[in-house]
Amino acid sequence: MSDPLSLFFLATILIVTIPSFVYSIGYLKKEYSPKKILLGQILTFLFVLSMLAVVTVSNMLAFLIAWEIMSLVSYFLVVFDSEHEKSIQAGTIYVVMTHAGTAFLVAAFLLLYQHTHSFDFNLVKVASQTIPVHTRNIIFIFLLIGFGTKAGIVPLHIWLPYAHPQAPSHISSMMSGVMIKTAIYGLIRFIIYLLGVNDTWWGTLVLILAIISCLVGIIYALMEKDIKKLLAYSSVENIGIILFGVGLSMYFMSKNMSYWAVFALIAGLYHLINHAIFKGLLFLCAGSVYKAAGTRNMEKLGGLIRTMPITAACFLIGAMGISALPPLNGFVSEWLTLQAFFMGAWHTPGTDKLFLGFCAAMLALTSGLAAACFVKAFGITFLAKPRSSYAEKAIESPVSMRFGMLFLAGLTIIFGLGAAVIINILSRVAGASLGIDTSAMVFSVNNITIHPLAGNAMSLSPLTMALILVLCGLLGWIIYKVYRKRAISYNTWDCGYYRLDARHEYTATGFSKPLRIAFSFFLRPYRTTKKSGESFYHIKSMTYETHTTPVFKKYIYKPVLAITFKSAKFMRRIQPGSIHVYLAYIAITIFVLIILIRKF
Amino acid sequence: MQGLSIFGLLVATFLMVIAKRTPALVRSFRYQSFFLFLATLVIALEERQLNLYVVAGLIFALKVIGIPYFLQYTMKKINVREDLGLIANTQISLLLSLGFAYLSWIFSKQLMSSSETTAILPAVAFFILLTGMFLMIFRLTAMAQIIGLLIMENGLFLLASAVLGGMPFFVEIAIFFDVFVSVVIMGFFVYRINKLFTHIDVNRLSRLRG
Repeated sequence: MSDPLSLFFLATILIVTIPSFVYSIGYLKKEYSPKKILLGQILTFLFVLSMLAVVTVSNMLAFLIAWEIMSLVSYFLVVFDSEHEKSIQAGTIYVVMTHAGTAFLVAAFLLLYQHTHSFDFNLVKVASQTIPVHTRNIIFIFLLIGFGTKAGIVPLHIWLPYAHPQAPSHISSMMSGVMIKTAIYGLIRFIIYLLGVNDTWWGTLVLILAIISCLVGIIYALMEKDIKKLLAYSSVENIGIILFGVGLSMYFMSKNMSYWAVFALIAGLYHLINHAIFKGLLFLCAGSVYKAAGTRNMEKLGGLIRTMPITAACFLIGAMGISALPPLNGFVSEWLTLQAFFMGAWHTPGTDKLFLGFCAAMLALTSGLAAACFVKAFGITFLAKPRSSYAEKAIESPVSMRFGMLFLAGLTIIFGLGAAVIINILSRVAGASLGIDTSAMVFSVNNITIHPLAGNAMSLSPLTMALILVLCGLLGWIIYKVYRKRAISYNTWDCGYYRLDARHEYTATGFSKPLRIAFSFFLRPYRTTKKSGESFYHIKSMTYETHTTPVFKKYIYKPVLAITFKSAKFMRRIQPGSIHVYLAYIAITIFVLIILIRKF
Repeated sequence: MQGLSIFGLLVATFLMVIAKRTPALVRSFRYQSFFLFLATLVIALEERQLNLYVVAGLIFALKVIGIPYFLQYTMKKINVREDLGLIANTQISLLLSLGFAYLSWIFSKQLMSSSETTAILPAVAFFILLTGMFLMIFRLTAMAQIIGLLIMENGLFLLASAVLGGMPFFVEIAIFFDVFVSVVIMGFFVYRINKLFTHIDVNRLSRLRG
């Protein structure tokens, strides 16, 4: 099937999974027994195969089967470190959430089947226009919940920060980089392509969810000190950015603004492939750090840039990409998304203007916070001096791992500089999924201006920017060379204490403190201090802990779980354990049914 | 001839209801199966179909000889109390089964909505079904449950041949195999349960619940 959307996702999957696979050769070595490595590689292979199947099949039943295989295989990969209690727990949360999501998908597909009498995509697409409006709305909501669970849209993201960090790093890279994107594929395929967008509120709802996902994801990421968890939360944020593009495209579609719908979808797809690349890269780097240092806790890392220069360089490129710094790829896609918002605000009247402007502002805020987050991730992990013996004994990873990282780092740069070419390719994908002929439309980074009134005077080209940045870099290097002689190396000024060690360094928790205060209305931080000593005035030891309240877990999932368990306990009363009573239940049920169908 | 077999089926079923010991139950099951065989044979003679002859032969081989023999063999092997463990005593059981017979008769008449002669065979079938279920619920041992299931199967078979003139041949054969295999499996399980818990009183398995 030469469907552009499927081809695009095929390419995305392969771009990330192949380097991850090469990386895994070095990563798994010595961590596990040969047998377990073989098992892991077979599972990985199945996982990639099932993802490829998900994006290529053209039948809803086949899609569901591939989707289930993907979910199950990824569950086994999450619990791959089966000796860790945490992995089992993470796997359980994951498998429960993902199946709850699949249940909604099954319901949505059956509803589609009921009205179109076919499971085949093409036939469904033809017949889907006859579905009554309220059924369409229900199908849309079900699909959004079903795919949203997999994508990690807030508040359905709960499994993501548990499952992704617990899997081996190359799997995290595939899960975060690619697997959650299959859900975006589902959204585009089933909502935009098959169902067709008619109502404005669909796009608006997706945009609102995108705003929430972005902000919640990045704020939690900022608070994290586990480097892989930080990356997992950042995935939630980036799914939000992708949804900005997708939701905006839906919004424009419902308003019949086809050019901008294509443009917004290009932005979304561009960010999708970008996120696949740099999140894959970052997870591989994090895995490299984890393998070398034996810990994922950033507070215990530090100074790795000297012992692991290649990992550090790759992580830096990934972090710059994800922070949307020009001229890397993240910049291009977020720039396009922002442009789409500005254009939308420009071309729509009244409150829509305000809403789209607000979305743009939220995207900008997210980007800023993301930059702060990755300054923290890179700075605490790689800069300064080692904070513990873990970080001191770290060494650079083997060749196969370096290859995986360098390959993706290279792609990060290529996708930034080659934006003009890639946009044109993506325009075909977006056009085909929206059902719009794009041959007459022109898309270019250079033609898109910051403000329509400014005309072409304020256009931006990544290549020019790259040139400027290289020149600035050269200038800096020259200045450094010329004035190097004047530099004196000396200890950090320590107020006359003279015994500074690694424990006096800036910590990840310290770095995020201002933001914890700024977002305290949402994070609800609390602290516990414990003092012990002979008297109140003479304290021998003191512990201080600060935590943030997991709002979604506490206020949504815990009550739901409590109700479930309570009702299960209640239902257990009818279960005495006696076979005779069970048989009696069956008999009574049959009698009641016979009476109910009025045969007697 | 058909009247005789129906009468025999009823008597055998009532005998099962008042049975207190497992051997008596197995023996009554054998009688019931024999009369079922007779009823099928009569239908076969009327319809002159090879299928029905084969089915009747299978009933005789499996239900009259094979399964009862296997059950007796299992009982001898595990060597347990012969007591069935009555939850409802024989008098109440008999009264209840009379009620079942009446209900089946009404139900059958409603269902067939034609002459009383065509309604009688389904009525007996329903009665046997209900009795089988009753025995499964109101007898304690696992053996009673197995036989209860077999009785229900007999009832089902009779119902199928009375209402539909027999099921398709392959379905019939498949069911026979199912029944035979399930009896073997259940017999084996009873044996295992007896070995593990030194009794086959199903009621005492209740502590195994989740």
